[in-house]
Amino acid sequence: MAKSNTKHHSTVGRREFMKMLGVGAGAVGLGATGMGAFASDGFKDLDEMMASPLAERKLPFWVKEVDEPTVKIDWDNMQVFEGPEKTLFNPASWENPQDYFEIYNRNIASTKKNVQDNVPGLSLKDRALADANCWGWGGRSGASLAAPWDGAHVQANPQWEHPTMYYTPEQYGVPKYKGTPEENARMLRTAGRIMGAADMGFVKLDDRTKKLLWGKIKFENVEKGYADPAKNKFVLPDKDLWAICSVIPQSLWMQQYTERMSWASSNTMSYSRANIYGNRISVFLRGLGYQAYGGDTEAVGRLVGFGVMSGMGEYGRAGILVSPQWGTNIRTVLVTITDLPLAVTKPINAGITKFCEACKKCGEMCPSGAISLEDKPFWGGQAACQAEGIKGWYMDSKKCYSYMLGGEPDCSRCQTVCPFTKFDEAVLHDLIRLSIGSAPMLNSAIRKMDDIFGYGEEPDLKKTPWDLDPMDIPLYGLDNSRS
Amino acid sequence: MRLVSWIWFWYILVGFLMGGGAVMIWHYLKKASLKLVWFEWILTILIFITFMFLGQTFIASFQEYEPKAAWMTVAFMGIPIMIMSVLLYRSINKRFNNFKEADNS
Repeated sequence: MAKSNTKHHSTVGRREFMKMLGVGAGAVGLGATGMGAFASDGFKDLDEMMASPLAERKLPFWVKEVDEPTVKIDWDNMQVFEGPEKTLFNPASWENPQDYFEIYNRNIASTKKNVQDNVPGLSLKDRALADANCWGWGGRSGASLAAPWDGAHVQANPQWEHPTMYYTPEQYGVPKYKGTPEENARMLRTAGRIMGAADMGFVKLDDRTKKLLWGKIKFENVEKGYADPAKNKFVLPDKDLWAICSVIPQSLWMQQYTERMSWASSNTMSYSRANIYGNRISVFLRGLGYQAYGGDTEAVGRLVGFGVMSGMGEYGRAGILVSPQWGTNIRTVLVTITDLPLAVTKPINAGITKFCEACKKCGEMCPSGAISLEDKPFWGGQAACQAEGIKGWYMDSKKCYSYMLGGEPDCSRCQTVCPFTKFDEAVLHDLIRLSIGSAPMLNSAIRKMDDIFGYGEEPDLKKTPWDLDPMDIPLYGLDNSRS
Repeated sequence: MRLVSWIWFWYILVGFLMGGGAVMIWHYLKKASLKLVWFEWILTILIFITFMFLGQTFIASFQEYEPKAAWMTVAFMGIPIMIMSVLLYRSINKRFNNFKEADNS
């Protein structure tokens, strides 16, 4: 056997070591300057980047890279495995398929018993959450990525189905989940965070809030809603219903790069996450024994309206939702309609709409001039794609879309420059938000300071994520500071 | 970027510097047999709080990929810290000089 050639990789380079040895307050300043210099490092092209040490996979200093794995492998005598159909999940791969079904049925029996006995961690809501996360992505089980109107169609498939796959309370032999509206709301918020919602609010559908639904959605005296997409007909049952409003954040980390990268790799990526989340929450609700309507991001109605009414944010100058925590850096409020009774969440006042009066930064920075620069909100709805009945500022969608989709740039300037769109590392931001919520006379000064401090400046075109250590990139591009 | 990964180190360093500074000041005051009057205590506490706030904002701004904000914070908070420090130094030093003159006579 060849002598193992060990190579130690350490994340503590000379530079880091010197930083660690730095003495005195000057080290802080020098280190920060060093970081600034590092951040400005760039490569001329992809080849140069690939040739750089940064392209290597960096391992923690206690991990050695070796020529042979620590498990012994006899490559000469190693048997090639036929494929996944030969795994034990396929009854046909068992010598006696009956053995598989015995185990399968035992698993189903114990799963049912645990649900029936309401065992913590294995109860109906736990199974529903597991099914939602396990099968909510759609795919081979029959659901497409974008869920249909009446929820993800995850079908049982005895041949391939793992026993934990999607079930309804009837299949477990238990009644549907029962809880107070407050308990249901809390449960849903917990499940939502696990499934991918940054925040969640609930709106009861009444004569007012039904106006936020698309006009094509009708109510009929039926037990269950249905859809006939060919006729553009979408029907909800005429009974007590609630709108679950789930905030799907996008990558603020990606917004430090060019508009194109931010738009294509942050904003649009969030739609796919939103649709997967839409499937998950549908499976979850149906697993509890309740109905779910909506599916994808465009299925239900006016998302900013539902976001405002559920307290997920306030109506901002750009005509988009501004959240106290995420600013405008949210891709969508994914709305799912359900008959699970929920305690409603109220609209909020964090001084955001008031701040928009003084700020105008999104309007001034908008390259297409689509965002209103009026001081005060006004009754509008005169231009295309605007709805009457809202006293706010109006975005000229035609100007926005002509610029954003009609040429090279793509755009998310209004989101990037918004003073509420910030990471949440510095304590200073909380003090600013406190001031905005309680002392609006300082709003103009805060806007000026936002400019002076360099927030929302146009990104350097030379700066790209390709020259970073991949392990320094937050997973999915989602930063930890605001989650 | 590793500055961000080693962020705990900077906070420990700042902690050591603050602790070391406090011990040095305490020794200096003890050696000079000086006691701070009430407004000097207020100034000391204000300088400490502002300095800690400056340090947190400075480091956090780099974590937020906002180097300009980091340096602007130094400019905006550093000036009041310097003014307060000069006032504190002049106040203490004046009494210290009086103490030395009295001691020499």
